[in-house]
Amino acid sequence: MAKDSNDTKKNKKDEKRDEDLSEEDLALKQQLELYVERVQDADPNLQKVALESMRQEIRTSTSSMTSVPKPLKFLRPHYGTLKAFYETMGNSELKNYLADILSVLALTMSAEGERESLKYRLEGSGGDIGSWGHEYVRNLAGEISQEYAKRQSEEVPIEDLMELVQQIVAFHMKHNAEPEAVDLLMEVEDLDLLIEHVDSTNFRRTCLYLTSSARYLPGPDDMLVLDIAYMIYLKFEEYPNALQIALFLDNMQYVKQVFTSCDDQLRKKQFCYILARHGITFELDEEMAANDDDREALQDIVNNTKLSEGYLTLARDIEVMEPKSPEDIYKAHLLDGRASAGATVDSARQNLAATFVNAFVNAGFGQDKLMTVPSDNSSSGSSANWLFKNKEHGKTSAAASLGMILLWDVDSGLAQMDKYFHASDSHVNAGALLGVGIVNCGIKNDCDPALALLGEYIDKEDPFIRIGAIMGLGIAYAGAQNEQLRSKLAPILNDAKAPLDVIAFTAISLGLIYVGSCNEEVAQAIIFALMDRSEAELTEPLTRLLPLGLGLLYLGKQESVEATAEVSKTFNEKIRKYCDMTLLSFAYAGTGNVLKVQNLLGHCSQHLDKGETHQGPAVLGIAMVAMAEDLGLEMAIRSLEHLLQYGEQNIRRAVPLALGLLCISNPKVNVMDTLSRLSHDTDSDVAMAAVMSLGLIGAGTNNARIAGMLRNLSSYYYKDASLLFCVRIAQGLVHMGKGLLTLNPFHSERFLLSPTALAGITIMLHACLDMKTVVLGKYHYMLYFLVLAMQPRMLMTVDENNKPLSVPVRVGQAVDVVGQAGRPKTITGFQTHTTPVLLAAGDRAELATEKYIPLSPILEGFVILKENPDYREEDH
Amino acid sequence: MITVSVKWQKELFQAVEIDTSQPAYVFKCQLYDLTGVPPERQKIMVKGGLLKDDADWSTLGVKQGQKLMMMGTADEIIKAPEKGPVFMEDLPEEEQVVALGHSAGLFNLGNTCYMNSTVQCLHSVPELKSALIQYSHSGRSNDVDQTSHMLTIATRDLFNELDKSVKPVAPMQFWMVLRKKYPQFGQLHNGVFMQQDAEECWTQLLYTLSQSLSSTGSSENPDTMKALFGIELVSRVHCQESGEESSETESVYSLKCHISQEVNHLHEGLKHALKSELEKASPSLGRSAIYLKESRINGLPRYLTVQFVRFFWKRESNQKAKILRKVDYPLELDIYDLCSDDLRKKLEAPRKILRDEEGKKLGLKASEKSSGSKDNDVKMSDAEGSSNRSGEPSIATSEEGVPSDSGTQMTGIYDLVAVLTHKGRSADSGHYVAWVKQESGKWIEFDDDNPIAQREEDITKLSGGGDWHMAYICMYKARVLPK
Repeated sequence: MAKDSNDTKKNKKDEKRDEDLSEEDLALKQQLELYVERVQDADPNLQKVALESMRQEIRTSTSSMTSVPKPLKFLRPHYGTLKAFYETMGNSELKNYLADILSVLALTMSAEGERESLKYRLEGSGGDIGSWGHEYVRNLAGEISQEYAKRQSEEVPIEDLMELVQQIVAFHMKHNAEPEAVDLLMEVEDLDLLIEHVDSTNFRRTCLYLTSSARYLPGPDDMLVLDIAYMIYLKFEEYPNALQIALFLDNMQYVKQVFTSCDDQLRKKQFCYILARHGITFELDEEMAANDDDREALQDIVNNTKLSEGYLTLARDIEVMEPKSPEDIYKAHLLDGRASAGATVDSARQNLAATFVNAFVNAGFGQDKLMTVPSDNSSSGSSANWLFKNKEHGKTSAAASLGMILLWDVDSGLAQMDKYFHASDSHVNAGALLGVGIVNCGIKNDCDPALALLGEYIDKEDPFIRIGAIMGLGIAYAGAQNEQLRSKLAPILNDAKAPLDVIAFTAISLGLIYVGSCNEEVAQAIIFALMDRSEAELTEPLTRLLPLGLGLLYLGKQESVEATAEVSKTFNEKIRKYCDMTLLSFAYAGTGNVLKVQNLLGHCSQHLDKGETHQGPAVLGIAMVAMAEDLGLEMAIRSLEHLLQYGEQNIRRAVPLALGLLCISNPKVNVMDTLSRLSHDTDSDVAMAAVMSLGLIGAGTNNARIAGMLRNLSSYYYKDASLLFCVRIAQGLVHMGKGLLTLNPFHSERFLLSPTALAGITIMLHACLDMKTVVLGKYHYMLYFLVLAMQPRMLMTVDENNKPLSVPVRVGQAVDVVGQAGRPKTITGFQTHTTPVLLAAGDRAELATEKYIPLSPILEGFVILKENPDYREEDH
Repeated sequence: MITVSVKWQKELFQAVEIDTSQPAYVFKCQLYDLTGVPPERQKIMVKGGLLKDDADWSTLGVKQGQKLMMMGTADEIIKAPEKGPVFMEDLPEEEQVVALGHSAGLFNLGNTCYMNSTVQCLHSVPELKSALIQYSHSGRSNDVDQTSHMLTIATRDLFNELDKSVKPVAPMQFWMVLRKKYPQFGQLHNGVFMQQDAEECWTQLLYTLSQSLSSTGSSENPDTMKALFGIELVSRVHCQESGEESSETESVYSLKCHISQEVNHLHEGLKHALKSELEKASPSLGRSAIYLKESRINGLPRYLTVQFVRFFWKRESNQKAKILRKVDYPLELDIYDLCSDDLRKKLEAPRKILRDEEGKKLGLKASEKSSGSKDNDVKMSDAEGSSNRSGEPSIATSEEGVPSDSGTQMTGIYDLVAVLTHKGRSADSGHYVAWVKQESGKWIEFDDDNPIAQREEDITKLSGGGDWHMAYICMYKARVLPK
């Protein structure tokens, strides 16, 4: 037989090698050969002694696994004989013993796919699986998953396997091999087992592995995995982590459970800070906080009422309170020669750009050099002057910019906006309404000032005022799912007399208010509005905002979109594909779903000749879907590079925007270079999109390289008013909030995605798809949708009474520690600062003192510190 | 009667009593007392909207101790200023030019960049512009032929148009007239107009203008072009063999800069070109002999034109080949040592004054800022220089093309104001571009229809030695002193 001849060959080789063996090894080899012979002896006693000695030899050697253990090596030639003998044995204890040994030997001998190790293990005596060593267990786990798959397809019972799984999982969990345990359980589809085996030493690593692997699992497995992680965290009272998973799953029931499980008011406060950063509307009830005062204090945090205060504390600490004028940003003195000589005449376009730059740069600081007046100035002050240095609809943006400057500060914001309500100019009124919405962005107030103030303007005659009020409501109540607003806004959609732009903005605002809710009624209303459009209206760029509103309803909701997507197939063909792409990209936004990315890429590979417009949202869609995790993000950047080379012009125009979304507030050097190259493209639309995106990737970073690029672009394009406008806006974005803000919708170490933030960015990007009619036309105030994504990029540590507390922290580049044993370093190249500190993209912070214990494991945004009771001053 | 608290801006008014039997207007009046905000400007947020003046408290469901929010200020209502600002976008085109800071570009009508760049360079001479404007009044005199007259008119109109528009101008009329006057510019090659030598265009245009402008006779000054561009040379012709020597004078419109192995700088090239050998019949020897001709400048123009002799006729390839050698030229050119002794004497006094003035400024600055680095001082003197220069045009224009000697004194120092460059390997191919200094002191590169702002230090980089644009004609403007 072939096998036998193989064996004899090996024997010969072994014999030859015998000569090289040391005396000790030779003795061992002979000893083992003797055992093998004895096993085949007729005397059961002798057999037993031989088996036990053999077992002893193997066990003592497997404990160290640096090379192939000697006993296994010497026993290899005898595997066949032992196997043959085993078959002849009658059922007895001895047979089980032999099965054990064969199972171990199969580790090295078993042919691929035979799974003999598992076979003999199941026939063996059972017993402690770990006694045979790590490698054996690992091998066994692999065979089990293969066997499991086979049995599942043949529908054979699996009880015996599961028993083994139990043992293996228990072994892995005890021996720092959590990833292996999780992998095995995922293979055999029984993750619940994990909960029994986690303990306080290993649950962190287990959960980290679970949450990280969820990104790469196909649905619905990923949800299951996160469920388990949630339960484990809850079991070990790691509530902040549990809360994060609950938010990731968008499961309000879980969020509630976190609150009800925890009875520490301080920790609940921390939960509220996490909820506030996520930007969702959440009402606490008595079950979650029994005491009225406590509940009010908590609700205040969720409502973000203290955000402005915290942000200003940060600004004062970093000493950037001094307002900046647009000229401070342009830094024209660094450009010799090029900048236009003493511009004696105002350019409306450039003044509008300055308005936006001023708004972005001084956002949230409550003071600036154009809009807010120093009180000792002459009566009407410069505010009015600057306002009227803008032309027509420019005045809307100018008035609204005051809202941006007073962002989050509702009290003084409303007071300062008041004067614009009484102006006789409808553009100014519209701006005031929009400004009220912006001031209230992300802030909830019991009195609902935005609703009370704006509510009565949405049915006014003047379309500008209507748009201002509607957009303001959308920004103020993003994600609130407010029924009252729906009943007010939805009728406008199907009002035959309403102008197209009012309808378009209503659709977006409703989409924002019901973002990610899959609300049927709103969807219906928008669908009807779309069906009512005439042929001519369907080609208007503004009509494209309707599918955008529809898409927002399904943001990140994956399959839930399918019914609506089906309906959209019945639309007029002019908008059908556009709608299709928008819905697809929004539904899978932030999921990293590779199949959807491929689907969208497929749409981009077609060459169109009928002037269809759906490839723009498809390109943006690639970025929206792929932005979820780093690997997919890198791949998407490469795919977009390909599109740039082979795509048609309409695709090339969207690519820079997609790049901007992928690296938002994260200036990666390679993307920066690509965009810099595209900013000189011969197609002005591509160049404009690239310039805008340079602003987006540098948003709030003060990145010197991008600032330099933009400065040079401003002199390069000094004659092209449209491009110069884009350059100015980008400059404003780069210095947004004087470098204290970020636009990144991801937070909590890139784990959570704030739906309203992503919605705000994508609306702005869709507006940029048709730069000439929207941003450069009458609807430049759509740039203010970015406010939804603006958040301080800070770490602010507070004490138990929400007062800022300065402590040393180490800030460094985050390191991926998934699947690493022990307590690996989580940051690298760190520097020690005292809070509050700014965190750049990819940064992670850890406390540099033992004196306090943070109540959230992730040091971002507001973190409450508790005094460490075990802390001792070193000197005393 | 219930009590509520009212939040207004950052203030909180505790325990405001509401008489629920009265309309809400009464409550507003109460708040007026507290805040000073007139009732009609108060916005009070209650559930579901704003509080109306006639609202009935019982239907609103305001509870005891509830917190109300009020918005409103007693501030002045902003009004639009009576006179709104004027926006550039709304201005007529001529006024936009002022805001732009430079004149328009010229469209390329098919290999006409040599013409465009010539026109742009000459357009920067304000005296020429004013002389042309005067021409229109006088009309054509008899001794100027029809085509020259038309070309002059076309030049005038084109200059006018350049000054008035923001958008690039198409010099159609000028181009047609130029071809008519000088048919060599109308040469066709494969059905398209050929590239021409810009220097030829420059010379011919100046010649025509000098013809027509000098013959107008109406103005007090008969020879405008000569005063502006003419250089008087006095030459000593010397034959070494026979020892014969003679002297002659001539007037030229440009100095040549010969480029040979030894020439690295404009100055050397100019010197080189002012010495030449020529062979002519010697009356004393009775045969032809080698004569040495040494020229010196005897009269200075307002605008000194220097031509780099970069092209020579290459017999083998039958084309004008180009010398790519790098020849540096300064932003400030002193031609004192090229002048004749007579002229030098005349120049000495004004030069001393100029030196003293600059020295004074420098010294003053140095004493003011003794700690300032040397580097700083240099910059300052530059700044002074440029302010001097920018002051000049106004003097010059006021004199309306009066010759140099009447109101001002020459100093022999010239400042670079325009450069005409060529890029490419032969005169009849490649690309011509004009680089012109504006009155504001800024440099503009006129690349046909596209004017691009440039930095001064980049202007001196056009000195050749590579495939980049290299200077072909430089125009310097005299630095003058008032008498």
